[in-house]
Amino acid sequence: MIKITLAGVNHKTAPVEIRERIAYPKESLSSAVQSLAHQDSVLECLLLSTCNRVEILTITSNIHPSPDFFTDFLSKTHPALTSVPLRPHLYYKTDSDAVEHLFQVTASLDSMVVGEPQITGQVKESFEICRKENSVGPYLNQIFQRAVSSAKRVRSETAISHLPVSISYAACQLARKIFQDMSNKSVLLLGGGEMAQLTARHMKKMGVRSLTLMTRDPAKGEPLAAEYEATYAPMSRLDDILSEADMVVCSTGAETYLLTVPIMESAMERRGYRPLFLIDIAVPRNIDPEISRLSNTFLYNIDDLRSVVLSNQKEREMETFAAKEIVRQEVAQFEKWRAERSAVPLIQALRHHTEELRLAEIDRFSRTLDGLPDEARKQVLLLTQSLMNKMLHPTYQTLRNSSNIDEAWEWITRCYGLPPEILSRNGSPENISPKEREGKSVLDSPLSDLPLPGEQTC
Amino acid sequence: MTISPLELLLLEMASGFYLGAFILYLSEILLSRPPRIPWAPVTAGVGGVLFQSLAIFIRFGFQGHVALLSLREVLSFFSWSLVLTFLYLEHQKKVRILGLFIFGIAFFSTLMVIGISFRAPVLSSGAPIGLLLSIHTLLIDLGLASAALAFMVSILYLVLDHFLRRKIFNRFFTRIPSLETLDQLNNNFSGIGFVFLTAGLFFAMIWSWEKFGRTLPLASQGRLAFIGAILVWLLYAMTVLVRWNRRFRGKQAAYLSISGFLVFAATMLVLAFFSKGSHFIL
Repeated sequence: MIKITLAGVNHKTAPVEIRERIAYPKESLSSAVQSLAHQDSVLECLLLSTCNRVEILTITSNIHPSPDFFTDFLSKTHPALTSVPLRPHLYYKTDSDAVEHLFQVTASLDSMVVGEPQITGQVKESFEICRKENSVGPYLNQIFQRAVSSAKRVRSETAISHLPVSISYAACQLARKIFQDMSNKSVLLLGGGEMAQLTARHMKKMGVRSLTLMTRDPAKGEPLAAEYEATYAPMSRLDDILSEADMVVCSTGAETYLLTVPIMESAMERRGYRPLFLIDIAVPRNIDPEISRLSNTFLYNIDDLRSVVLSNQKEREMETFAAKEIVRQEVAQFEKWRAERSAVPLIQALRHHTEELRLAEIDRFSRTLDGLPDEARKQVLLLTQSLMNKMLHPTYQTLRNSSNIDEAWEWITRCYGLPPEILSRNGSPENISPKEREGKSVLDSPLSDLPLPGEQTC
Repeated sequence: MTISPLELLLLEMASGFYLGAFILYLSEILLSRPPRIPWAPVTAGVGGVLFQSLAIFIRFGFQGHVALLSLREVLSFFSWSLVLTFLYLEHQKKVRILGLFIFGIAFFSTLMVIGISFRAPVLSSGAPIGLLLSIHTLLIDLGLASAALAFMVSILYLVLDHFLRRKIFNRFFTRIPSLETLDQLNNNFSGIGFVFLTAGLFFAMIWSWEKFGRTLPLASQGRLAFIGAILVWLLYAMTVLVRWNRRFRGKQAAYLSISGFLVFAATMLVLAFFSKGSHFIL
């Protein structure tokens, strides 16, 4: 029987000393996948390696690999983990728990920052590497497709990815609440701090019309301005540029307020009282908080932006309940497919066995049948076939819907007296058709189209 | 004047659809996740407006003219034009949150239309209704609808401004369009409302000139309504004219639009309930 097993180490189970060297080097990932795929009993495998997690998913026949199998594998194939005791940090999941975990990872519900979009792409990349190394078969294909589909549903049916959880991005989102169109807006960066640079990057992505960078030291400011395709301006031009800018990001090391109420009153008058969004991410602050009392000025400091981020994080956490429900639905769909898929070899074996019995009985009565006219003989043969199909149909249906296929195998073997060698032959990977290897289920076809054991599928 | 059973049925159907649209928009705000069927509230709104269009068509056919003489007719045409404008706006700018207010108002307006008696006239000319008076009533009602839209976007503007200043980030906050969008919409609706109002008053003055030989008709009733009309026109004239001065925008413009609509609505109510539809002053 097919067994799904997942084991891994991630940011929740391992300390930073392990996490910082956990990702496989790119050049050794393919060889690690090859090595895993050649392990005994591993039919299909997926190796997901990011800076926050390494996860291994295996499809095996009959038994689940033990946790030690995974730790041994990681120690042997990961150059930086050879001497690290991984067992205490390893999580180990089987069958539907393993699938649910992978779906949650792909939908970014297990990420350090819930809802971050990169992980789905990383799962896709890992799958692509495994596909190139021929370690992917019908089961992994199905798991991967459903994982990506659940991630898409989570993103479209919940608000999990709509709420920014970084300070710089939150500042940009707030700007969207003030301005309708960013393409005709100018941004002034006062100081070139890290946060200001991040904000500048986001602003560029949002397509602002112009970025102006202002620092005390032109030697530092000019190269930075060039890096962000911004215009450099000296501090002496502050008044002029303030009257043109729609958004100001302050992050200088100044000890006093750079923007005071009189400066802003004068600037607002010159700019015709158009709305102005001010972000003060400097500590100590660079903008006098009294400015927020002026009409059409909106001032946010670092604490305000943090509160936006915290509020969004809470919202995202609330959304994870709905997202996990979507994942559960997708897992249930996969389990249904898996139950049907697992029943195929047994159904084939049963058909083969009963067909042999039917043919043997026809053979036994061949002398009597030979005495019949051609048409009557054909009718008798059809009758036996139809009778068999009608009698076995409920059994096939029960097998398809069976939640415990192991038990079903045992019962069918006993009830119909199936020879054990037929069963073992059917569970082997050779019986997987090329169509199935591409991820297409044979169960999408009518039951009557299923091949008998030994027959070639095409 | 009575309401025909068919017209009543159509108005009931329209109010049902408006209520549906209102509930759908409300659920979009209360439930944080994106709607599963985003086109459902708009479809309900389109259904409502189709039924109401038929009801208005029947009413005009029944009367034999297109003038809005009673509060019932004014409200019906008002809600109909509000919904139509919103549907256009939703198609152009995606201001979904406005749907909550529009369909709420449209629902209550149609309910009132069903419930109000015809004995609440907003226009009693004492003369046959001609084309000029019909155009006057339609334009004034369209002006009222524009003023209502300016009022709604102004309220949203003030709410968003308050949220941004107080750092309140709730679900409602995320649904409101940007301040700039709201300010622009306020500007547009106020401008359109002013044009309708001015044109409406102009047609009334032509009618008065034709009938009485003077542009400002005088009579013993309607002093309050006349003062209201002048006040509304002045408020909108001020809103539009001072917008040319770039200093006047945002909150100040929002306050002016809110007061403009309130005076406008009060004038219509005074006409209906105190002046008995008389537009003449002593």
